[in-house]
Amino acid sequence: MSDALLTSPFLGLTLSAAAWCAGCWLQKKTGLLLCNPLLVAAALIIGVLALFRVPYSAYALGGDFIKLMLGPVTAVLALNIYNQREILKENFLPVLAGCLVGSLTSVGSVLLLCRLFRVEEALTASLLPKSVTTAIAIGIAESQGGVGGIAAAAVIITGLAGAVLAPLFAKLFHITEPVAEGLAIGACSHALGTTRAMEIGQTQGAMSSIAICVCGIFTSLLALFL
Amino acid sequence: MSIMAQAAIVFGLCLISEGIAALLPVSFPASVIALLLLGLLLFSRALKPEHIQQLSTFLVANMAFFFLPSCVEMMEHAPAILRQLLPFLLVVLVTTPVVYGVTAWTVQLLVRRLRGRGVRRHV
Repeated sequence: MSDALLTSPFLGLTLSAAAWCAGCWLQKKTGLLLCNPLLVAAALIIGVLALFRVPYSAYALGGDFIKLMLGPVTAVLALNIYNQREILKENFLPVLAGCLVGSLTSVGSVLLLCRLFRVEEALTASLLPKSVTTAIAIGIAESQGGVGGIAAAAVIITGLAGAVLAPLFAKLFHITEPVAEGLAIGACSHALGTTRAMEIGQTQGAMSSIAICVCGIFTSLLALFL
Repeated sequence: MSIMAQAAIVFGLCLISEGIAALLPVSFPASVIALLLLGLLLFSRALKPEHIQQLSTFLVANMAFFFLPSCVEMMEHAPAILRQLLPFLLVVLVTTPVVYGVTAWTVQLLVRRLRGRGVRRHV
């Protein structure tokens, strides 16, 4: 029977949905920033897999279905952008300038720190695209000689940091313009940060969605010259 | 429009985007091509927001959930990351606020400067 359970995609799907609900419940109950549903759910699943000695590949049978949906999820962000088209028209120049500066800073600061700490080349290449969304990051990392999985991990940790700390960053840097706040969240922490930006406000959410797209393009282009 | 029709539109766009990505001479993510295509269809009014509204609302409202498998996958790469944990965490956690700060400041200054100029022009 255990074979049937381990080869069924429903294992990954059930675990994911149940752990997600538990994560959301805990966030509501505690109200703590660190009890991010994604963080809690991932820890729960990793714990369950380790406890019952289930290999990751068994979870991935179902998990891959969910991962596949990242494509459509990214695509439909176009509707958020469309719904905020007036603000986009008004701020066309700041959007372009902000995303260009953001992409350059991201790639530049990673390169600088990696050189400073004499980080291995393969890890450096995996960290380079950490501020762009997973699908883009894996492609860039692998074309630079990095490891896709490590790049994805860097993207997720960056995204979590952005999603959890975004309100704190706004206070720290004295950011009061919604357009600036949204673009910065999207530029530094992609779609995962955008989930938080949408909670902060509609303008922030739309600007963050735009930043995912524009920074993704800029970073992909930048990677061609590295 | 029925939810399945909406799904057909969005999945179809993703399919076409993968085809386009395969044709491009450089590696470019299909999901961003799909975002651009959908944006193009919406802005050219070939597609109305109602055509994808319900599906979009559902997907975007649960966006973080779709990152869950990638999060769990980190476990697979734990040995490689743990070997260089300190530089890994340092790079990720130091550069994130730096990118936020630089981007936000650039945009905020630009937005205020442009607005200031606009106000003067109206006066």
